[in-house]
Amino acid sequence: MKWDPNSFGQLWLGVLIFTVAVDVASAAQKKPVFSVSSETTELLESYCFSCHDADSKKGGIRLDNLEVLALKDRLNLLNKMQEKLYLKEMPPSKKKAQPSDTERQQLYQWVSAELGKHNASKFKDKLRYPSYGNYVDHEKLFSGEIKDKPFSPARRWLVSPRIFHDRVMDVFRLEGRERTGFATRQFSGVKNPFILPEHSGVRDYDVTMLDGGHLLVMLSNAKWVAGKQIFAARLKTDEKESLLNSLSNKDRWYPKVTPVAFEAIVLKGGSPTDDEMMAAVQEQFDCVLRRKATDEELAKYVELLRASIVLSGNAEGLRQMLFAVLLESDFLYRLEFGGGEPDEFGRRKLTPYEASMAISYALGDRSSDPGLLLAVAGGRLETKEDYRREVERLLADESYYKGPVDHKISGKNMRSHETTHPKQVRFFREFFGYPQAAKIFKDIERSDGYYQNPGRGTLGTPGFLIKEADRVVDWYLQYDKNVFENLLTTEEFFVYHDKDNETGRKIISEWTEAYERLKDTDWKKNPEGVLAEHMEFIKTKDSLRRWVPEGGHQRRTFLRFMHFFSDTIGKGRTPFTTVATSHGYTYHHSTFYSLPPTPHRGRYERVEHKNFKGELEEAEFWDYPVEQPFKISKRKGLLTHPAWLIAHSSNFHTDPIKRGRWIREKLLAGRVPDVPITVDAQVPEDPHKTLRERVESVTNKAECRKCHQQMNPLGFPFEIFDDFGRYRLDEPLEYEEHLVAKAKKKNGSNIYKTKSVSTQGELRGTANPNLDGEVSGPFDIIDRLAKSERVRQSIIRHAFRFYMGRNEMLSDSQTLINADRAYVKSGGSFKAVIVSLLTSDSFMYRK
Amino acid sequence: MINNRRDFLKQSLMSAGALALMNAPRLSAASDKPPMRFIFMHRGNGLWPRVCVPPSLDAKTMEREKRKEAIDVDLEGHDLPKWLAPLALHKENLTILQGLSGKMCTTGHHSWCSSLGVFKANERLSSIKWATVDFELAKLFPSPAKHIELACFPDGGGNARGSLEGIATGFSARGPQQPNYAFGSPRIALEELFKSVSTDPKARTQYQLDRKVLEFVARNEGATATLLAGAEKIKVQNYADSVESIRERNLKIDAMAETIRRHVPKLDAKYLDPAVSTFDRQVGHSEVLLGALISGLTNVVAFTVDELGHRYTGIPGIEGEKVNMHDVGHNKVIGGLKAETIRELARTHHMTLVDRIVKRLKSVPEGGGTMFDNTMIFYFPDGGETHHSHGWEYPFVILSGDKARVDLRRRYIRLPNYGQPGHSTLGNFYTTLLNAYGNPIEHYGALDTGLNKFGHGQTGPIKQFLKT
Repeated sequence: MKWDPNSFGQLWLGVLIFTVAVDVASAAQKKPVFSVSSETTELLESYCFSCHDADSKKGGIRLDNLEVLALKDRLNLLNKMQEKLYLKEMPPSKKKAQPSDTERQQLYQWVSAELGKHNASKFKDKLRYPSYGNYVDHEKLFSGEIKDKPFSPARRWLVSPRIFHDRVMDVFRLEGRERTGFATRQFSGVKNPFILPEHSGVRDYDVTMLDGGHLLVMLSNAKWVAGKQIFAARLKTDEKESLLNSLSNKDRWYPKVTPVAFEAIVLKGGSPTDDEMMAAVQEQFDCVLRRKATDEELAKYVELLRASIVLSGNAEGLRQMLFAVLLESDFLYRLEFGGGEPDEFGRRKLTPYEASMAISYALGDRSSDPGLLLAVAGGRLETKEDYRREVERLLADESYYKGPVDHKISGKNMRSHETTHPKQVRFFREFFGYPQAAKIFKDIERSDGYYQNPGRGTLGTPGFLIKEADRVVDWYLQYDKNVFENLLTTEEFFVYHDKDNETGRKIISEWTEAYERLKDTDWKKNPEGVLAEHMEFIKTKDSLRRWVPEGGHQRRTFLRFMHFFSDTIGKGRTPFTTVATSHGYTYHHSTFYSLPPTPHRGRYERVEHKNFKGELEEAEFWDYPVEQPFKISKRKGLLTHPAWLIAHSSNFHTDPIKRGRWIREKLLAGRVPDVPITVDAQVPEDPHKTLRERVESVTNKAECRKCHQQMNPLGFPFEIFDDFGRYRLDEPLEYEEHLVAKAKKKNGSNIYKTKSVSTQGELRGTANPNLDGEVSGPFDIIDRLAKSERVRQSIIRHAFRFYMGRNEMLSDSQTLINADRAYVKSGGSFKAVIVSLLTSDSFMYRK
Repeated sequence: MINNRRDFLKQSLMSAGALALMNAPRLSAASDKPPMRFIFMHRGNGLWPRVCVPPSLDAKTMEREKRKEAIDVDLEGHDLPKWLAPLALHKENLTILQGLSGKMCTTGHHSWCSSLGVFKANERLSSIKWATVDFELAKLFPSPAKHIELACFPDGGGNARGSLEGIATGFSARGPQQPNYAFGSPRIALEELFKSVSTDPKARTQYQLDRKVLEFVARNEGATATLLAGAEKIKVQNYADSVESIRERNLKIDAMAETIRRHVPKLDAKYLDPAVSTFDRQVGHSEVLLGALISGLTNVVAFTVDELGHRYTGIPGIEGEKVNMHDVGHNKVIGGLKAETIRELARTHHMTLVDRIVKRLKSVPEGGGTMFDNTMIFYFPDGGETHHSHGWEYPFVILSGDKARVDLRRRYIRLPNYGQPGHSTLGNFYTTLLNAYGNPIEHYGALDTGLNKFGHGQTGPIKQFLKT
């Protein structure tokens, strides 16, 4: 038999079915027995025992006494064996005696069968999880030698938090402005039961399942929703007064219309008829599950409804039935099972309705748009061409999915970036992992007072940086050429940029004109007079409308503006297009791009005071580029964006290991094992060494090097950026004994002796000898990565996971190759990748 | 005994019968030891460290207190601060603990879950990093209701803004991004917690309806699961099992009906009135808390005694005033009473609640002693040392029963000040509790980035409190 790792999938399924059968029959059967066939024994003899018997016991592991181990220990060991065999990590490659593919598969099957007896294989379960995505052989995936027909397993896929919110809106059948309003608002009685994991990389997988926590939240959600569904109808009864009085200030909203079938029961004097009850059940199935109830379901729910009405009357009884349908697990899952007859490969195509939902949820957070529903009704969502037509139509649609990239980063002083297809941006933000910056808390003093940690109502500095990274991603997605390469190498960024280029130009033009006109007047001593004299001119400028009298602050505002202009226009610099004393002004993060600072509001707040001497102390401020994106020196791509650099740092220092690991796993499709639990991963303190030197002092040890060589040489070049993302050549040795000077301002940085930063690193793993090799620094490694075919394919693999909600299998090879070709052929269009993925067999077929 | 691979090969082919015996399940002995109970009473507007100092400390110790140096004195022979007088009878069980910092928490006006979870809650769901300490302790001492939370919600600004009369987002968290729900009034708490034994026909009907729906959902999902296999089966079965476990919990509660009925709080009408004053609301909540603990419904209660955004009523001397606690924080005179006096009146009232709880628990026999022997009560500020707090200090008033596994009885303790060797944080304190009661966690809570520069380490329990 030929060794075929792809057959593992089928084997697991077999094991699983076997396990289920064992479970069912377990009461009647004996305990499973550990056994080894003579053939397996020979294999163990030939390939394992020389290192793992009582005498050698390499790595503390013995395989010759498996049967006497406690069951738990044996299963642990077998799990390790299963993983090592699958990954071909054992026997080690340096061993001359290697099993043939057939022998390896034989051993693997034996281990799997033993684990299967106890339903104890952790590895097969692990492979479904995000961190195991790269375990599938990259070369094989893109070799073209795999000819299997792609499919996705028939599945329930738990809805994402955004989709859940959308489904609740569907239950209430919200449309128009009300729906738009709730796109960024929560229902007061609905708590989202779902949390996506927090890590770099694709987060929404089909592996998550409902549990008790979800149920607890859903119980209260469902009760609230059911009550609101019939609230409007109950207002037509004599309960009206008491119902309105029961609404609290925080919970006054209710849908203004109750579906007819519900209202009929609420308003009926006596018991409802069977037909009325059936209509109500069907209505709720349509609202919640977007399908009709089957006869069996109908019978069950009508019985529940009838019994509930007997107990508590029409309205309360109805509410209980609505409540029960809302607790159906299918409300919380996306169902993708396929329909019709299986094809010759045993696959079923998604039903047109399933396909419409799958396409719509892939492109946004909303269920099918009217166009998709029409296609379903007209039998025009069957073929690949049908899928292509609909996907391309929706990609060109600029309104249906339009919305904030992440409403959760919006706060009192900043709104999330909005775009036509936020979900595309979300793929890249998950892939790069830069939103994790919001989870890193910093010591403000180390930032010289510029960093603002996330706080009440604001995500602070990381919030701004995340939004600005989102804008870079969206910019290149809109451009849609060489998207991956541009995101990896762009030297152009958005910083502050709270107004579009045209508005910004207009403001600067008006401000410059005003300053030039007024700078030589007596504006400091006689602001009122100058204002009065030039009021007609001022009134012609939109950006100066705050100088026009509308209260008692005209003088103050004028003085603040003019000092701000003197600091900037007066020194030949362009000011930021929002004045530092504006209400809620919190722009202080330019320094994290290694740009000069912008003025703090406190600088101008005192200029109206009678003790103010008339002159501000000299200070260097940023010459603000109105046209954005703009070039920033010593930055190249998102891996040098402060949001990414902070996200891949610790609270206290940079994290070259984390940065290197990200490159290994996300760009090079590589694997790094988890830190063994026996290792206490600590970077030693040493006041005379840089962080790199301290890291190397432990990770260069033989037992650590094997894993760390996969990460450290990739991460070290980025040591030229500190843990705030600032460019540097020297690293301060932040120890008391190296203190040179104490900070001169509140929350300012102390000055310490420094040591040069080394940015030498090494790139291995592109499978291209022209790219692999020593690198001189971050820009060198970034340029090489951007040219790598492997990097491009790795990003395609992650896009596959994002759009399919699962890890790739070897049988997805054709899908991945086609997506990669589509990208190359289209000149680097990400839309082409999406179209290719959403018209692939992996997307269309279930098995 | 098997010594080598030859033996292995020989035995592995013939050892089935023996192994079946070797893998016989272990029997676990059921424990009849009473569980520990924990009551977390937290309040808003800060708790000033200076008012927690026993006035009778000698001059030298007072000097140390002023310099915030470490102090550990026996409370025996010392006067308690006046507001702590209601606890005079319980001095044996009392510890005043000062010097814990919590700068890794959201501080200032409103801190939400921060002081219970030791992270910056930031009034944002996504900021809840993990289960708060009360929930972690509830896992160690399971009960039918697991955990109960009561609150005098803020009705002005601040989170969690709940309805005074409703059930709303509370101040504890069940897990990451999962805030708990709290009962806003004694009336709603009574109705919900004791509905299984309610005498109100409407409540009984609702109780039956809810039971019916859960039975229906459990049957329905269970039936769906039986048609599936593998991972898909687990996805539905898990949910069906969860419904089933809630049903089982309900059955347990039903089985406890007699006990629960005996301990249903008997509250006068004024405590159930929507117009109940804050002082009476707090008394009502304390009675519900006692009923839930004594009946065995729960072993852990979180009680938001007040929050900065709660507008106080019922303060002696200014009963008619609706007192804005933010104004009190800014030292305004209200109804002729100085802010400091209002603060003291509120604190003193809180201590009468603690006294009520301790006395009642001491009156319930349990395991040869009383229920209080197995109880710890923590009274502390949710935001720290003052109205505009920075998290430098979180003073704690702690009542510990005889069987508490932490050494905190009859003492006034000030831990080393911020940045000094031996300084401890809220995280260290909660780690101590969790370690003492069986959770071996290395460190509970987020770290304080500002402490790092002192280089003293900030993880692990406060060893001096762990009983050996």
